Amino acid sequence: MRPASLAELRDAVRDTRGTLLVKGAGTAQGWAGAPDPTDHVLETAGLTGLITYNPADMTVAVRAGTPLALVQQELAAAGQRVSLDPARAGATVGGLVATADSGPLRHAYGGPRDLLIGVTVVLADGTVARSGGHVIKNVAGYDLGKLLCGSFGTLGVLAEVVLRVHPLPPASRTVSIPCDAAEAVKHTGRVLEARLEPAALEWCDGELLARYEGVESSVELRAAATPGGTRLSTADAEAAWRRVAAVGDGDLVVRCGTRPSQLPAVAAHATSLTSSTAVGVHTLRVADVERLRAEFTQVTVLGNKPGVPAWGEPHAAVPLMRAVKQRFDPEGRLGPGRYRPWF
Amino acid sequence: MSLTDLRDQLAARLGRDGIVTDPAHLRTYECDALTGYRVVPALVALPRNAAEVAAAVAACARFKVPFVARGAGTGLSGGALPVADGVVISLQRLRRVLEVDPVDRRATVEPGVTNLDISRAAAKYGLYYSPDPSSQQVCTIGGNVAENSGGAHCLKYGFTVNHILAVDVVLPDGTTTRLGADAPHQAGFDLLGAFVGTEGTLGIVTGVVVRLLHTPATVRTLVANFDSTKDAGDAVTAVIAAGIVPAAIEMMDNLAIQAVNATVDAGFDPDTAAALIVELDGPADEVEARFADLTRLCAKATEVTIARDAEHRAKIWQGRKAAFAAVGRLSPNYFVQDGVVPRTRLGEALTRIAEMGEQAGIRVANVFHAGDGNLHPLVLYSEERGEHERAEALSTAIAELCVELGGSLSGEHGIGTDKACSMPRMFSEDDLATMRRLRAAFDPEGLCNPGKVFPTPRLCGERPGPYRPHPLEAAGVIERL
Repeated sequence: MRPASLAELRDAVRDTRGTLLVKGAGTAQGWAGAPDPTDHVLETAGLTGLITYNPADMTVAVRAGTPLALVQQELAAAGQRVSLDPARAGATVGGLVATADSGPLRHAYGGPRDLLIGVTVVLADGTVARSGGHVIKNVAGYDLGKLLCGSFGTLGVLAEVVLRVHPLPPASRTVSIPCDAAEAVKHTGRVLEARLEPAALEWCDGELLARYEGVESSVELRAAATPGGTRLSTADAEAAWRRVAAVGDGDLVVRCGTRPSQLPAVAAHATSLTSSTAVGVHTLRVADVERLRAEFTQVTVLGNKPGVPAWGEPHAAVPLMRAVKQRFDPEGRLGPGRYRPWF
Repeated sequence: MSLTDLRDQLAARLGRDGIVTDPAHLRTYECDALTGYRVVPALVALPRNAAEVAAAVAACARFKVPFVARGAGTGLSGGALPVADGVVISLQRLRRVLEVDPVDRRATVEPGVTNLDISRAAAKYGLYYSPDPSSQQVCTIGGNVAENSGGAHCLKYGFTVNHILAVDVVLPDGTTTRLGADAPHQAGFDLLGAFVGTEGTLGIVTGVVVRLLHTPATVRTLVANFDSTKDAGDAVTAVIAAGIVPAAIEMMDNLAIQAVNATVDAGFDPDTAAALIVELDGPADEVEARFADLTRLCAKATEVTIARDAEHRAKIWQGRKAAFAAVGRLSPNYFVQDGVVPRTRLGEALTRIAEMGEQAGIRVANVFHAGDGNLHPLVLYSEERGEHERAEALSTAIAELCVELGGSLSGEHGIGTDKACSMPRMFSEDDLATMRRLRAAFDPEGLCNPGKVFPTPRLCGERPGPYRPHPLEAAGVIERL
């Protein structure tokens, strides 16, 4: 099924029976547990384009099937961007919300949950629900958008997403500090204590990268003031950030959240790793997920690997996740197999 | 089983000094800072720790008695309004800062700790807790989590939800859990994000882990006077359009300035029609370059004053943050409104509000977070002169105007009791029913702070709010059965 409007999407969900798999660009179909074969596949590729965009309000409403790259293109013309830089090329905005995916800019801007200000979602029974709105500051009603972050298509089908946007920085400069994981923790502390305010601070396989964004004179001064840092040319910086994104191309990749200072312990499990060092969010290639899970609980497997369970021991909030799933999709129509063995 | 049995059980578990039953004492809990709504609770519990909170909630669940969590009672939407024949669970005794971790830049605190005390505890490491509601000296972090509180500096730094890593929660059945984790990556959906801002309707927080930020390298603040609120609003639009993200942009109109000047000597010009407070912070060179742009963009200002030093800046903010209370000097009674409009409709909103005030014969002072369109019209009236109903109607009409202009009923004060009946203006029945599914997942019995956020027949009459066709219905896509 490939609906082309909110009403068609609603009808597609309401007027069918059986299980449903939601599919955006298909760049993360195997994340969070391989989906079972379903009666229907609901593609969001027909739900594309900007709905409203008024640059002076610094918000944009888009249909969920719109590739983020397309949104960025439209926004760049007005000197703005969505401050989200996931590694997955071609991913849709809805897919990025459903997978709660983010990239190095999470250091300064957080992830989809921090940029999302409104959603329209179609529930498993065809109910169309909105939450949030078109203004950045808004506490009216429950924030269902947050709930859908990391829901992997198990709670509802995202139809429309409203995001806050930021100005495109006039200049950008990356510095590199070669160091091991333990030193990266210390360097991170120094950069933060020096109040240099990087937009991204990422350690990737033996190199701490600090990217500064802002007016040109300022980013150059901050680059020069970075303790132990070497200023990278624009081409070298692009190559370095491509290496960060490429960590996700591995055979068995996981994302893991820990206290930032636990980076060395996480890195000990990795054959390749990139980490937002001030935030404590790591993306790594591992040989043995179970060994990592024996030490850390907040682990998500990105991608299918036969024989590797997507999730470990249920953590304290899993019973609540099940209760929410029961209320939103009591018949288990949406994304069966995802979140196995928790669901 | 009866309330008497519940009282006995709570007294046995919390001790004689762990409950309040005396009618005179109970009255001190009858309202929060929205004093127009008052309900005396049957009982107040004063637990000392998380285990006692859980025991109190479990007892309420056993007897199916509704309960309401209460922090400092500074809420402006009646979120902590007690339920008659219900229990108030006060978190005032849970006020320890358990840990400040300068390496991983976080603090673990109990819910009764005040917002400002977190920053005080973190100050020796050069760290602070960013969200800064005007009531930050007294409001508690537990209340901030419940309301997803904002503040003047949220424009650049975000709201409470962007600064909380994890919360320990007593669920409405008395069991406990933790939402969130050591880092923003959660294995599972974002239950933490969904929980923050639910106004105490999904559970009671007994522990909070907050992110701490390094204080910025440089802070520059200016106060710019304008001949009209429109000129000031245009300056805000110009600043945003120039790609500047200030730490804060606040606006005060003449009436608000008069009120502040009567209370704090912050040096605001008593004759100006409107003043903007604009603050930039960050690395020195970045701030200096942007500050030059900023002063240029305030070209229409009649006067620009730049804060001389930290003391002067503190004075300016003290004045701004005292504005709500200061209005008491101008008027015996007032309502604080809290709507949001898209930034590009600020001017239109202010004009309409002024017209509505004139029509109602009621003065409205404006002091607000201009950068994110979060208005705080202060509706001034006299109870004695019998203006209450007219003022309340005006205040409600202003909030609903914000929705009409594409905004929201509330930017930071919450829906609570105050605006529950206006919710159908902003959300369809299906929207609200979907939110209720989340509530039911946490609180199937509906015991946790009932009667808040959602319109109820009891509060709003049989038809909650005026009928409004759902957009799909208006488009002929769906029919009302």
